[in-house]
Amino acid sequence: MDVLFQVFRMDSGRRRHLSPGDELASGPQALDTRWVTIVELRDISVQIGATLVLDGIDLSVPAGTRLGVIGPNGAGKTTLLGVVSTLLTPTRGNGVVLGARLGAEQETRRVRPLIAASGHEPALYDDLTLDENLRHVAVLAGLAADDARAALGAVGLGAAADRRASHCSNGMRRRADLARLWMCRPRLVLLDEAHAGLDSDAVAIVDAITDRAVSDGGAAIMVSHDSTLLGGRVDRLVAIRDGRITP
Amino acid sequence: MSFWRQAGEFARRDLIAERRANEIVAIVVPFGAVALMTLPLALGIDSAVIARVGPAMFWVVTLLFAMQIALRHSAGDAPTHRRMISLLGVDPLARLAGRTVASSILLVAFMTVMFPLMVLFYNPELPPLWPLALIPAVLAAIGLAEIGTLAAEVTAGLRARSTLAPLLVAPLAIPLLIGGSQAMESLSRGGGILPWVLLVTATDLALAVTAAVIARPLEEASR
Amino acid sequence: MNRIRVLMTLAGLALAVGLFFALRAPIDAFQGAYSRIMHVHVPTAWLAFLAFGVTAVGSIGWRLRKTRRWDRLAAASAELGVLFTALALITGSLWGGGVWGTYWDWGDARMATTALMFFVYVGYLALRGASPDRETAAARSSILGIVAVVQVPLVYFSVNLFRSLHQGQSIRPDGATMPTEMLVAMLVNVAAFTVIYIALLIVRMSVLKLEEQTAPVPTAAGAAVQPPQLGKALDD
Repeated sequence: MDVLFQVFRMDSGRRRHLSPGDELASGPQALDTRWVTIVELRDISVQIGATLVLDGIDLSVPAGTRLGVIGPNGAGKTTLLGVVSTLLTPTRGNGVVLGARLGAEQETRRVRPLIAASGHEPALYDDLTLDENLRHVAVLAGLAADDARAALGAVGLGAAADRRASHCSNGMRRRADLARLWMCRPRLVLLDEAHAGLDSDAVAIVDAITDRAVSDGGAAIMVSHDSTLLGGRVDRLVAIRDGRITP
Repeated sequence: MSFWRQAGEFARRDLIAERRANEIVAIVVPFGAVALMTLPLALGIDSAVIARVGPAMFWVVTLLFAMQIALRHSAGDAPTHRRMISLLGVDPLARLAGRTVASSILLVAFMTVMFPLMVLFYNPELPPLWPLALIPAVLAAIGLAEIGTLAAEVTAGLRARSTLAPLLVAPLAIPLLIGGSQAMESLSRGGGILPWVLLVTATDLALAVTAAVIARPLEEASR
Repeated sequence: MNRIRVLMTLAGLALAVGLFFALRAPIDAFQGAYSRIMHVHVPTAWLAFLAFGVTAVGSIGWRLRKTRRWDRLAAASAELGVLFTALALITGSLWGGGVWGTYWDWGDARMATTALMFFVYVGYLALRGASPDRETAAARSSILGIVAVVQVPLVYFSVNLFRSLHQGQSIRPDGATMPTEMLVAMLVNVAAFTVIYIALLIVRMSVLKLEEQTAPVPTAAGAAVQPPQLGKALDD
């Protein structure tokens, strides 16, 4: 594990960014650390109740990679993203995400602002307008409140900014969720079936988000049940079945 | 600075959502008024007894409805929201603090409607200095909001949550109930309110310290 | 299995010895035979405190180690604590009915605080029961298990803090307030009930462990989703 951990620090150059006590006061953009590997999982298992959702996952995602993960329903794709997001602590195994060891709460808390996830269920508050939703995120992330409107404009929702989320179509809600990822500029983008049901413009937004994360020295992981949705968008494709990575 | 900015943002969000959803005004306040009416109806026409129990009934209704306010739908975070907030690197205590501020404001508003209704329905003999009792009342509202916020967190996503949360916290909220109701009693007897203000303040502070200690494990547990 | 039999035998013996001492002890001149209830009431109340203390220890242990064992300790002890609190409330109420002439008195701070403590731990068990899985139950109840234990000193010192019908602490740094023979019988019963508590705790923890072991063997998630059999259904 220690050896593994050092790999991430070796070439990071500006490792002071991840020293204990460092503040992320000026937001995720302040970090410019170049990691060799963004995600490294070793023998990760997750058991929820009596179900072994992940069973000995080994996975390495180098910086600058768009990784696609395909698998049928119930294969463990979403759980895998949960582990990579550092929010789900594995039952067994070791892992390092953006230099933080999984399960080490202090370390994972520090890198979480560099990670953003979007799934089929947009993280919007129904009673708030799209603009208020984005502003809420902007303030919490330490960004300027005005970034919200700019991000909505960027995804083509400028005209609908003052509409309540509950009054928006599903496609608009999905776009607003993508606007959040655009605004937060994460280094590690996690997309759960993010392409499903999107029109070509919205797919272009997803591509822009992942492209930017990759060119920023980060990575993107996209999971889907349908490999055609990921076709041409990923640098590497792995399959997951019954909680195991299959070749 | 960032802590208070985040806390303020959560309070703001909660209050905007409540203004739009109108849950407290449209549902909780009328239900509270009905609850206040039930006791005089059950007691019959013994107006002396009704006048005697009025202030106590006000506090019982406040305690139980404080939980309704803390558990209101518009303050609920779905798992996707929780994950998003965790990934933003938000201090979990800032979230609890913001929630508490919003719930305190809503609870004080609720009490502002219930108190005149209680006076109307029960016709209690109020001591001349009764406005002084508002001080421990507001402090008790803050404590109830604190405890309600914690209960809402502990029971997030669990079944029978709306009953489970009051079961967990009603016994712990008793010092607030005693402090709030005894202040008025004390004024009626010509006494002061200071001991009761101190009791409620000490409870508020103890709850704040508890929240500070358990904020992180609680965030982890209810993710 | 053998260990449990030994434990239960020990508990039975302890109970017999305690009962013997309780019936042999002199009775209080004022309280009459009702004073014998104290030989059950005091030990059950003490065990309620101990059990909730152990729940807090188990909760802290779980938070630090995240191993099932600590959670089982916390859960088993909380169940016993609720049981012993109920017994303390019932025996205390029966004693009060005989000696004070009332089964429940709101002026008594310890009765009121004990009843509140009882309901908080009933809530603790409800919280565990409402949780969808063991990990959620452990994560959330451990927080409550640590916070709720502050009530124990509150209940214990309530007789000194508030005006109360309840007699004050019987054993104080400046000496006991009861005859030596009575005190000895009381202490024997406290010891006997503690043995019973430990025996029940170990048994309950074993049962919880067995329940966990007999839970379905972990299956891969994918096994839950099978290929559809629509064609077959149509054929039938």
